[in-house]
Amino acid sequence: MANINLKKREVECKIVYYGPGRCGKTTNLEYIFKNFGKQVTGDMVSTDTEGDRTLFFDFLPMGIGKIKGYDIRLALYTVPGQVKYSATRKMVLREVDGLVFVADSLKVRREKNMLSLKDLHQNLKEYGLSIFKVPLVIQYNKRDLADQGIPLMPVKQMNQDLNRQLKVPSFPASAVRGDGVGDTLKACIKLTLQSLKKQMGW
Amino acid sequence: MDTKSKVKSNLQEAELYKTQGLLNEALEKYLRAGNLIRKDEQLARNKKLYNTVIQKIRALKAEIERIDSSPDTKEVSESVQNIIKEKFAYGEEGDARALEGAIALAKFGQYERALREFRDLMQQENVKVDSAKNIIRCHVTLDSIDDAIRQYEEWFRSNAFTPEQINRLRVFLQSILDKKGIDKTLPHKEVEAMPAESPAALYDNQEVMDGEIIEPEYVEGEVMEDEIQDEDIIDISSVEITLEEGPQKGQTVEYDVSFQSGRVINLLVSSSDKELIETLKTGLELRKVHFYSPMAMFNGEGVVFSKSKIESGPKQGDYSLDIEIKSIK
Ligand SMILES: Nc1nc2c(ncn2[C@@H]2O[C@H](COP(=O)(O)OP(=O)(O)OP(=O)(O)O)[C@@H](O)[C@H]2O)c(=O)[nH]1
Ligand SMILES: [Mg+2]
Repeated sequence: MANINLKKREVECKIVYYGPGRCGKTTNLEYIFKNFGKQVTGDMVSTDTEGDRTLFFDFLPMGIGKIKGYDIRLALYTVPGQVKYSATRKMVLREVDGLVFVADSLKVRREKNMLSLKDLHQNLKEYGLSIFKVPLVIQYNKRDLADQGIPLMPVKQMNQDLNRQLKVPSFPASAVRGDGVGDTLKACIKLTLQSLKKQMGW
Repeated sequence: MDTKSKVKSNLQEAELYKTQGLLNEALEKYLRAGNLIRKDEQLARNKKLYNTVIQKIRALKAEIERIDSSPDTKEVSESVQNIIKEKFAYGEEGDARALEGAIALAKFGQYERALREFRDLMQQENVKVDSAKNIIRCHVTLDSIDDAIRQYEEWFRSNAFTPEQINRLRVFLQSILDKKGIDKTLPHKEVEAMPAESPAALYDNQEVMDGEIIEPEYVEGEVMEDEIQDEDIIDISSVEITLEEGPQKGQTVEYDVSFQSGRVINLLVSSSDKELIETLKTGLELRKVHFYSPMAMFNGEGVVFSKSKIESGPKQGDYSLDIEIKSIK
């Protein structure tokens, strides 16, 4: 449930970017930070470890206007994708309102995508949430690498692997170039707000 | 594809994976290229090519090793700590929330800052003992048991706590020491003796349990309450049971946990809740239970383990109910 401050008339929704290590979660947030200046309300904060990997989380605050007189704020987070940071991943996921699952289109990461989605499913369950009900979109990232002759999975196959049962909105993207980054976020915000409105009885 | 092209494409992929930080994938491609070169008579003669690949493999292995052995936590900037403190505390406003924020800092391995926060929070009566316990936990996690003992002794000598409070802290730390096999008996103040079955005695008991069930270590970012294994049971503060039988069928009842021993939690049910006492027979399976820990809520199942009437003390006539936790989802 979103964090609601009645006094300040503010609602903060937590949106978490989830996915296997190196799939491009941080790159998504960096692109948003640099290119969505109007909506970004503060600095992007990152905690990196060796080799540019996320240690705890990235955090990016945004504001997207008002609904029913309430200031709607977003707190975007990424989780650390490396398998060994599973406890931290779970902490970051707590009280999530909307999710972007970033999948890596590289063929060599096929299994890692599926394992990470399973890990998400499990962690949500432990918080009493269902992956089938939580606002969720999927992004197929690194599509640009097709130009370099590196084996990528076709979008259709990725849909089959990851989205056959979920049937959530999905977007091909290239986070380094910025393609699809905005569409992914917008779709996630849309679902998150729909669910917020339901919860608030708006 | 001839071998030469295969080698080339493997090397090309390896290079790309390396720039992506996908080091294991890169290693695999280099190894494959190396093998192809070795097995091909013509290519094998090109010692320079082979050596280059071998060098890349060595460098990559070293890099993987370095990353794997990098510390799991580090001291982060104050601005990040502020975000942890503010955003990873979920409760109500006020001191309880501030305590959660400080616990979050400890869970993210920010012990120095957490200790400062806990010390500040000790000024607030309602979170004083919890803050003190967390100070002890921090010292224990940092492997500075001596500091934990010194801290306790300092509190013991000062008048910072009431005898009952200091006793709770003593029991808490003593159980940690005992568990670690440290031969040290903490000084303690005489607290008025209490009849064994009074709720106050139960409370004292709870502290013993606390020491047993709480793993006093914030292992790298681990959420204590999340480890739901048979031996490690989360600290449950209250439960919400949906009744599936009896006159109140379909309704939910909520109770605070008065104490907990491993998988068994104890609730005190008032004698005025006659119907409920009737319904909750020993052996009754409770299929819809929400277990609330200080940090999260879990769904699960339990079974009524035993039920007994309290015969004396202020709660005389009420019922003491033990529920065994069967599963937590
Ligand atoms: N070519 C290409 N590279 C990308 C893309 N997105 C991310 N990368 C690269 O992939 C690597 C990992 O990106 P990050 O954004 O750090 O990945 P992450 O998911 O945050 O990784 P963890 O923090 O370890 O979980 C970096 O070298 C990025 O430049 C993309 O769309 N195309
Ligand atoms: Mg990252």
